[in-house]
Amino acid sequence: MGDEVYSDLMRELKEGKYVFTGELEPEKAGDVNEPIEMAKELVGMVVACNVTDNPQSFAYVNSMAASYLIQKEAGMECVYQLRCSDRNRMALLSDVLGAGALGLKNILALAGDHVSLGDTKDAKPVFDLDSTTLIKLIRTMVDEGKDLGGNEIHNPPKLHVGGAAAPGAAHLKAEVGKVKRKINAGVEYLQTQVVYYTDVLDKFFNELGKVDVPILVGIFPARTFGQADFFDKYVAGVDVPPDYLEAMRATKAIKDKEKKKEEVDRVNIEFFTGFLEHLKGTPAAGCHMMAVGYPRIIPPLKKLME
Amino acid sequence: MIAQEKKPMEEILGYLEGKQKVVVMGCGGCATFYRTGDTKAVNELAENLTKEGKDVFKIPLPFSIQACEIEKSGVFLEKNRKELENRDAVLVMSCGGGVQVVAEYMDEKMGIAKSVIPANDAIGLVGGGPTHLKETCQSCGMCELGKTAGICPLTACGKGLMNGPCGGVRVDNKCEIDENKDCAWVKIYERMEKLDELDKFTSIRDPHEWSKTKRPRLFEMEEPVKINASAGIGAIKGMMAVTFGPKPKLDE
Ligand code: SF4
Ligand code: SF4
Repeated sequence: MGDEVYSDLMRELKEGKYVFTGELEPEKAGDVNEPIEMAKELVGMVVACNVTDNPQSFAYVNSMAASYLIQKEAGMECVYQLRCSDRNRMALLSDVLGAGALGLKNILALAGDHVSLGDTKDAKPVFDLDSTTLIKLIRTMVDEGKDLGGNEIHNPPKLHVGGAAAPGAAHLKAEVGKVKRKINAGVEYLQTQVVYYTDVLDKFFNELGKVDVPILVGIFPARTFGQADFFDKYVAGVDVPPDYLEAMRATKAIKDKEKKKEEVDRVNIEFFTGFLEHLKGTPAAGCHMMAVGYPRIIPPLKKLME
Repeated sequence: MIAQEKKPMEEILGYLEGKQKVVVMGCGGCATFYRTGDTKAVNELAENLTKEGKDVFKIPLPFSIQACEIEKSGVFLEKNRKELENRDAVLVMSCGGGVQVVAEYMDEKMGIAKSVIPANDAIGLVGGGPTHLKETCQSCGMCELGKTAGICPLTACGKGLMNGPCGGVRVDNKCEIDENKDCAWVKIYERMEKLDELDKFTSIRDPHEWSKTKRPRLFEMEEPVKINASAGIGAIKGMMAVTFGPKPKLDE
């Protein structure tokens, strides 16, 4: 990791503060109004928010544009998610330059889901780089001011690069080998895929051993049963515990809107109390709260970590 | 071998709209192995087109005469020049390579401009067998197998990652994209483990050099391929025995 600090997220991580980040999802729309409103609510609760890039390969508002608008309109620092699925190395390079020019301070470098999983199935999948080589490219651009061909970049972008890890991967050894490779490539922090089981997390940290890179653990308090169910069914590498899923399903029957909200919050707080208590004893540097459209759950969950 | 499948009849009929007199041409190479361009397949397609009211002329190619090798397949085109001149379209039962080579030859060497239509979909360079084959190589021009324990990261991995696995591997180590396919990067890990080469796994492989795949790639041979006649025929006899059973009939 270089010594320079360009973002609030990196500053907090370096200071050893327990870090909380959130998540915003631009939609299939001609504006970014909803994520901007959500971001306004999250100001003060999290240090930065990830802005998703065509999640699950559904084509939405460009993540760089959304990140810029959210930072500008809501004053929320963004983590610009950047996938290799849709862009070749040249487009990635110019996007990183563009992100720097727009004042974005963090990029989460991802391979991305295959296009066949989303809503534009006949698209040509790109994957010219992978997450590791994208991380390396960004570090080379930022630290050395060079592009892939060794050409000089005038006034190089000033931003940090994070990477993903999947503690729930079936082949943990291969996954950890890949994570170590990302560390070799210069990743500055890691964010895990959503985890629900404490033993999954423990096994991951054990297998990884001590590393110098801070790790944010991803949690997903669902706002509705549908969200939890979608994660269970469609998000690779994530197992949602049946008890939690059932408790969420039961909230569907509640007619009164306010009562339903209360019950959903109760189910989440009950489930995550144990999990977050456990998290305190792990090497995690913070928690990425993937609570899309569910900002009200963040303060009570943060409280559990105090 | 280039694996291939027959196109659906509706698609073929779509291309043949307004074209009444057609030629169905086979291929004695890969398309014969995959039963998509052998004599039987040519007869079948001709029969089906006749049922649809088309007037069909057949040019089957004998075993080992590949549509894509124009020096050989061109002889069969020349032999049928008259028919070709009087037809509205030529359907070629080969991979796309054969289709294009035939079209170019007819156009430029024979002076016969006709629509030449593919009857098959080529689906890749495959290996394995006897019944279960898989795409193993995409002839990328810069082989990476030395870095990945002999498993092609570009072809065997659904995303073609040089540094995997991705975060999408399924619980049974199958690929994110297809539950029937193994995750190539789990396979690479396991093979490196067996070979005691795990240090290679965590090292960073550079992005693939796609500059080696500037399409279309041209290939110059210093001398044309020459097969010793008797050895060649022996090999063909052997292959036919394997492919078609114990009694090969070969027109020597
Ligand atoms: S890297 Fe893969 S596609 Fe390229 S030549 Fe080797 S096996 Fe074929
Ligand atoms: S699951 Fe494995 S084979 Fe499939 S895309 Fe991911 S890394 Fe490649």
